[in-house]
Amino acid sequence: MFTFLHQNITTSTIVGVVFLCFSTNNYAANIEAGKAKAQTCIACHGPNGNSIISEFPSLSGQPAQAISTALYRYREGNRKNPIMSPIAAELTNADMNNLAAYFSAEKRTSTHITSAQNVSLGPELANKYNCTQCHGPQMLGLQHIPRIAGQQHQYLIMQLRGFKAQTRSDMDGNMSSAASALTDADIVILSDYIAGLADRPTAKNE
Amino acid sequence: MKKKIIASLILTLAIPAFAQQKPEEPPPRWLQGRSEADAKSTLHPFNPKLTGADISELQISKLKLPAGFSINVWAEVPNARSLARGSKGTIFVSNLAANDVYAVVEKDGKREVKKILKGLTAPNGIAFLDGTLYVAERTQIKKYENIEDRLDNPPEGVLVVDGLDPTNGPGHFWKYLTVGPDKKLYFNIGSPQNITIPNYVQGAIMRVDPKNGRLERYATGVRNSVGMDFHPVSKKMWFTEHGRDWMGDDKPEDELNVVTKEGENFGYPFCHQGDIPDPQYGKYASCDQFTPPALKLGAHVAPLGLHFYTGTQFPAEYKNSLFIARHGSWNRSTKQGYDVMRVTLDAKGKVTKYEPFLTGFLFDEKGDPPMWGRPVDLLVMPDGAMLVSDDYNGIIYRVSYKKP
Repeated sequence: MFTFLHQNITTSTIVGVVFLCFSTNNYAANIEAGKAKAQTCIACHGPNGNSIISEFPSLSGQPAQAISTALYRYREGNRKNPIMSPIAAELTNADMNNLAAYFSAEKRTSTHITSAQNVSLGPELANKYNCTQCHGPQMLGLQHIPRIAGQQHQYLIMQLRGFKAQTRSDMDGNMSSAASALTDADIVILSDYIAGLADRPTAKNE
Repeated sequence: MKKKIIASLILTLAIPAFAQQKPEEPPPRWLQGRSEADAKSTLHPFNPKLTGADISELQISKLKLPAGFSINVWAEVPNARSLARGSKGTIFVSNLAANDVYAVVEKDGKREVKKILKGLTAPNGIAFLDGTLYVAERTQIKKYENIEDRLDNPPEGVLVVDGLDPTNGPGHFWKYLTVGPDKKLYFNIGSPQNITIPNYVQGAIMRVDPKNGRLERYATGVRNSVGMDFHPVSKKMWFTEHGRDWMGDDKPEDELNVVTKEGENFGYPFCHQGDIPDPQYGKYASCDQFTPPALKLGAHVAPLGLHFYTGTQFPAEYKNSLFIARHGSWNRSTKQGYDVMRVTLDAKGKVTKYEPFLTGFLFDEKGDPPMWGRPVDLLVMPDGAMLVSDDYNGIIYRVSYKKP
């Protein structure tokens, strides 16, 4: 029993000491290790976690806990996806925490341009349907709740339709409940509005 | 047969309610009952880190205990919630957010953590009786016989009772499960919302006889209890109860209750902490109709597991002391709880002392998050040490005593 504990403490102390200086929020996870591991992820999720494919979500600027929670749920089979489930199956908790630390520290950008009409309709709908209650006033996410501001347009539509149809795995029932009140027209407006809520990428990123 | 009749009776009651289920209140569920005055509140619950904490992140050295006591990390189990011990020494650990049950076994001096059940629904409640592990999920209790001989190849669960989430409400669907001196299983069916009039089996502590599935209501007017234990001498059930949210920072206080007769009513949703009528439902009843708490535990402290200390390792004065794990407040602007408290009782069962035992998880009472760990359940080991689960970090700690 002492062997078990001792090894863990020794390993993690070393990791903690070496990489604490990179950490912005006392998160002992290793950003550099996360970046190295992220090479598989960026094939779909884009450079620095800013997706360039509308069906695949951006990971940049997510709360770290939202990323690690999603990965955990894929690995444990609570959320299923033909691409993500096998990838997550290979990750340890430490890998997940490191990936989360890396992507959460990257800046979110979005190339999506919201229609003028939805720029004006969006905020009221986001308030009416309580998006901001959990995702935050700027929809930047909090703890395990993902940032949706500047998320990929098609991805947002797919998730909301999935929650409404109760085919999308739901942690605690809140999203299925929230989406049950949405019409499909609302889903399209909200997704268009929320997808545009991020800075445009700089020339270098593009 | 009886089991089937009762189960189907509950289902019959449940189906129309489920079919009619419309979200009466907008999500998230924890906002239900919030008044206009609190509309701008930024208070929110805290969620566990499912991938666990790196042990180096745990601020073990910040934890405080009375002289002679010490604490160390005993095992890492994702989202560790309830603890139960098998007769052959296996420690079973449930979780809530990750839908699994784990077993911790010691083999050749090494501790091993195994996932034994997966894909369950909020399997927060676990209890062990006569070789069998019972698991309380959102809607049902299942049993796993001879589990300790089959940890690597666990059997399919066999249904004990179902229909335990009759309205599929968004709140308090997780169960605590324990075994009474009568070898029956005791568990909560929480209120489906923060504040509402529950149906007959909700807002209650139920019991089921695992031999025949017979279901009875043991106590009522209980908003949600996630901790129950029986006094080693009086055999009475003591339980923790969470008070409602959104009545301000200091109201109402959470409760420590004791059941003195079957079917006793503890007041929810009409009366809180024994003496505060609910702003909405209080007019339908009077507080003096209900059993008041044995002790007010503090507002929003979220008391979970409670256990009488029956070991011999701690000093003699700890014998039959009641330990209470307080998961910690979210619905309060200045946070409190996040600790393990000790309650002492006199020979008549009257509370004589309520004092901190294990503190130091709370580091910033105005912070977001305010804590680095959250105690959930307690288990007294055969050697007299006490295990404490922490679902936020996925850690089980061991508290032990050595004469200073």
